[in-house]
Amino acid sequence: MISKILRKNTSPGRIIGFILSNFIGLAIVLGGLQFYSDASSIWSDTDSFIRTDYLVVNKKVTSASTLGQSDMGFSEAEIADIEAQPWTRSVGRFTANDFRVNASVQTGSRGMSTYMFFESIPDDFIDVPRAQWQYRPGSGEVPIILSKDYLTLYNFGFASSAGLPQLSEGLMSSIPLTLTLTSDDDTRTATLTGRVAGFSNRLNTILVPEAFMQEANARFGTRAPAPKRLIIDVSSPGDVAIKQYLESHDLELAGDKSASSAAFLLKIIVAIVLAIGIVITLLSLFILILSMSLIMEKNRDKLHALLMLGYPVRTVQRPYSTLVTAAAAAALLLAIATTFMLRAYYLPPLKALGATSGGTLTMLLTALILTTAIIITNIALIKRRVKKSFR
Amino acid sequence: MNTITLENTLPRVFASEQIPHSEVWKTTLSFSRGNLYLVEAASGGGKSSLCAYIFGARTDYEGRILFDDTNISTLSIGRWLELRRRHIAYLPQELSLFPELTAWENIQLKNRLTGYASDKMVAHWLEQLGIASRRDYPASRLSIGQQQRVAIIRAICQPFDFLLLDEPVSHLDADNNRTAAHLITEEAQRQGAAIISTSVGNHIDLNYTHRLHL
Repeated sequence: MISKILRKNTSPGRIIGFILSNFIGLAIVLGGLQFYSDASSIWSDTDSFIRTDYLVVNKKVTSASTLGQSDMGFSEAEIADIEAQPWTRSVGRFTANDFRVNASVQTGSRGMSTYMFFESIPDDFIDVPRAQWQYRPGSGEVPIILSKDYLTLYNFGFASSAGLPQLSEGLMSSIPLTLTLTSDDDTRTATLTGRVAGFSNRLNTILVPEAFMQEANARFGTRAPAPKRLIIDVSSPGDVAIKQYLESHDLELAGDKSASSAAFLLKIIVAIVLAIGIVITLLSLFILILSMSLIMEKNRDKLHALLMLGYPVRTVQRPYSTLVTAAAAAALLLAIATTFMLRAYYLPPLKALGATSGGTLTMLLTALILTTAIIITNIALIKRRVKKSFR
Repeated sequence: MNTITLENTLPRVFASEQIPHSEVWKTTLSFSRGNLYLVEAASGGGKSSLCAYIFGARTDYEGRILFDDTNISTLSIGRWLELRRRHIAYLPQELSLFPELTAWENIQLKNRLTGYASDKMVAHWLEQLGIASRRDYPASRLSIGQQQRVAIIRAICQPFDFLLLDEPVSHLDADNNRTAAHLITEEAQRQGAAIISTSVGNHIDLNYTHRLHL
């Protein structure tokens, strides 16, 4: 009976207006969030060794450097200057080998050997489980991260033209490499086993643990050359200031440059989409508040009469609270359903681009929190309005 | 609740005026359970205001009103609503029936809340007051006299210590007045309650223990 009395003057148009606008706002917020969590894996997951906010820089190679007239190494002052930049979190130095390395592989009856080089960076910059990236002095085994480009070059450039077998990543990882280290003056030599721990898209080098490099350089090397490449942990990889700094100092960015700026662009676009969604959601909240206050204002005499009979505030407010909850829940369900439909539509092409689908938990939690906030705000206002009609 | 006490109470609109002698305003007056009070006045004397003050519907007065020892201006909304369900019944002059509900629904709206009277009892009361045939008519289609009788039944569908009747029989003939008086007296006696009834002339036919002039 209470509902029969109080539902009068309820305008279905306004309630549907709220459901629609709340649905649109929520769908945009949830769709944006879900797309971000699904799409961001394209950039963040393809290279598990190194995070996207690490940049590798080196000095540009010029004719002068070829002729040995300019130094390719970074001086301490130059490193300190990079460290002082506002976008820098920390700077790591690449250490190159100061000795000769010969690697040989035995595949079946055929063997092959090549001169090569190593570089190392501080372990903090590498995202590989410690156990896999540990060098134990004296163990004779060295983990190595290879650039994927090298494998591609070998497989599609060198191997096919030279009649050599092609190697998969898995196979490469299972074949032990025999490494022979020799000092420049040929007085000291050692043989070790190399194990490929993984392949990196973003590091154009052959990486070994820093501990190994320091030990080997101390044993076989004679000089300690200045680092020629730096790895920089930056706060925001797409920052224009970084680009300007690199250009003005004749520095080059190594690895996939587009990835970090694309990730940054994605963040910006998602932020804009989320902001629009949140504004629409807020507007829908106001639509609901206004239509509820209009309904209750029209029914003020009835509210007053019910309180005159002694009806408790919570009984009187219930029809309105139920209405608000039902409307918000309807918008929530519609928005979640739409997000899942949208996801089913974009996920296949996204997966083709190399994305792994992110979880839906963040999206669902956000949906729940936003809807709960809308419901709680409205119920509090409804309760206040019922109490105001007491006298 | 045993007494309602008025201490120097005066509607604020009268504050600046020179009011004639009154047995209610600007004095100390107690209403006690078990008594029947008639408050008489010319229209505009503040009868409805008195009821509204005691019922907590208005607060525009000076002085104090006490329920036993409690100043009613300190009561919370929740406490007021409870008092209205358990201790004070009120028949307002404007009746305040819901026009979209039937006579029966209007009564049950109150009765279901308090769980006081059985359906049989309500049906009996309707019978007694001669409106049983109008039971399922929407209140908007009843005459004022019929509405007044529905409102009387609704008012007594609860436990009460005090029953406030604001011009309860203004639209009833002598016969109906007597029947209503009988019904109300019976119910008040059963509960040991007090009745405070107002009138501008045509008052409900009770055996008043006190007659007061506003």
